[in-house]
Amino acid sequence: MTLLRRYNLPALLFCVSTLTGCATAKPPMAEMDDAARRVEAARAAGAPTYAPMELRAAEERLALARAAMRKEDYGQAAPLADETQAAADLALARARLGKAREKVDALARENAQLRSDLSIDPEQGGSQR
Amino acid sequence: MIIGKWDLPFGNQKKLRSAKFRFTALTLLLLGFAGIAQAKDDLDYDRLRGSLNQLRDDRVLGALAPAEIALAEQSLALLTTTGRKEHEHFVYLTERRIDIAYATAQAVERERALQLLDREHDQILIAASRRDAEQARLELEKQRIQSLAQAEETDRLRAEADAARAQTEQTSAQADTAKKQAAQARKLADAQAREAELARKEAALLAASGAKPLPKAAPLPGPVTLGDNAFAPGQAVLKPAVQAQVSKIAAAAGASAHVHIEAHADDAGSAKANLALAKERAQAVRDALVATGIAAGRVSVVGRGGQKAGRHVVVSFSER
Repeated sequence: MTLLRRYNLPALLFCVSTLTGCATAKPPMAEMDDAARRVEAARAAGAPTYAPMELRAAEERLALARAAMRKEDYGQAAPLADETQAAADLALARARLGKAREKVDALARENAQLRSDLSIDPEQGGSQR
Repeated sequence: MIIGKWDLPFGNQKKLRSAKFRFTALTLLLLGFAGIAQAKDDLDYDRLRGSLNQLRDDRVLGALAPAEIALAEQSLALLTTTGRKEHEHFVYLTERRIDIAYATAQAVERERALQLLDREHDQILIAASRRDAEQARLELEKQRIQSLAQAEETDRLRAEADAARAQTEQTSAQADTAKKQAAQARKLADAQAREAELARKEAALLAASGAKPLPKAAPLPGPVTLGDNAFAPGQAVLKPAVQAQVSKIAAAAGASAHVHIEAHADDAGSAKANLALAKERAQAVRDALVATGIAAGRVSVVGRGGQKAGRHVVVSFSER
């Protein structure tokens, strides 16, 4: 008994520690909701146009998480929900960046056009610093 | 394994030794795997650490996404504490968090650029409107100067017109004067012409009377005597045959000579009646002369009585 305990204690601890990851009993409902909401937010922010790959990655993660939820494999669903959130946040950030870049380009072009139309020297109208 | 050595109980040494060996081998194996895993973990960590550091140290982007960088840091810190099984999961999360921090910082940077461009846009419009206003002002000024110049030109033209009109008036006055002068000259010429005409007439008259005035140097025609037979006896009526003689007398009188008519009566009979008859006879001659065209004023009549020469009428001429 003592022997067993003594010899198998590290192995046992290892097994327990690895098993805990898979055996989270509680369904990660809040995480799933949050993940879905963030994917939706990314979509609304223009991710389909400005960050389609990132959005698709997030949607795939979300689909995996949902599949795990259906299988009641919550141990797999929870990290997938987390990953979905991160992927959705990235899609959102990239959409924001893409939109900002597009606007900057458009406005820079417009300003240049305006300047040439109105024949305003660059230092005359709109010296930024 | 050190623990194992120290904790090994005395007794059952052989069995223990083999068990110990097995355990040691197992542990070594596990640790070997762990070491490999740890090395891989370290590679991931180093990679992510480097990426995040690069973002934090970026002069432009480093300060733009502090919240996202903090989240990435948190995720990276978790990576060091988690087990191997969760490692990939946390690597994934950390990678995403770092990418999010990058994207957010870049987006913030672009959004600031956008603000600057917005401001620049406004400034361009302001500059344009300012320049337009300036141009409008210049244009206005130009027009003002132009209208001023135009007014000056108008004034000048008016002055010129006035001057021209004055000159015209002066000219017309001069013309009037000239006309008057011309009229005067014409009058003068007329007068002169009239004078010349008069002179000519005079000359013509003179020429016409030239025959007489010349004989003026020679004496006027001598007295013409009409005898008693010129009249009916005892009467003062000229006989028709004497008419020719009367005409001759009238011609001799010319244009200007004065005609004296002396009627002489004879002494037979009453002197008084003779004189009266003589006078009547003289008047009859005068009437006959006047009838030929000689002015009555140029003819004077005298009756004389008691002449031995018998009854006769003497017609004589004199200058004036």
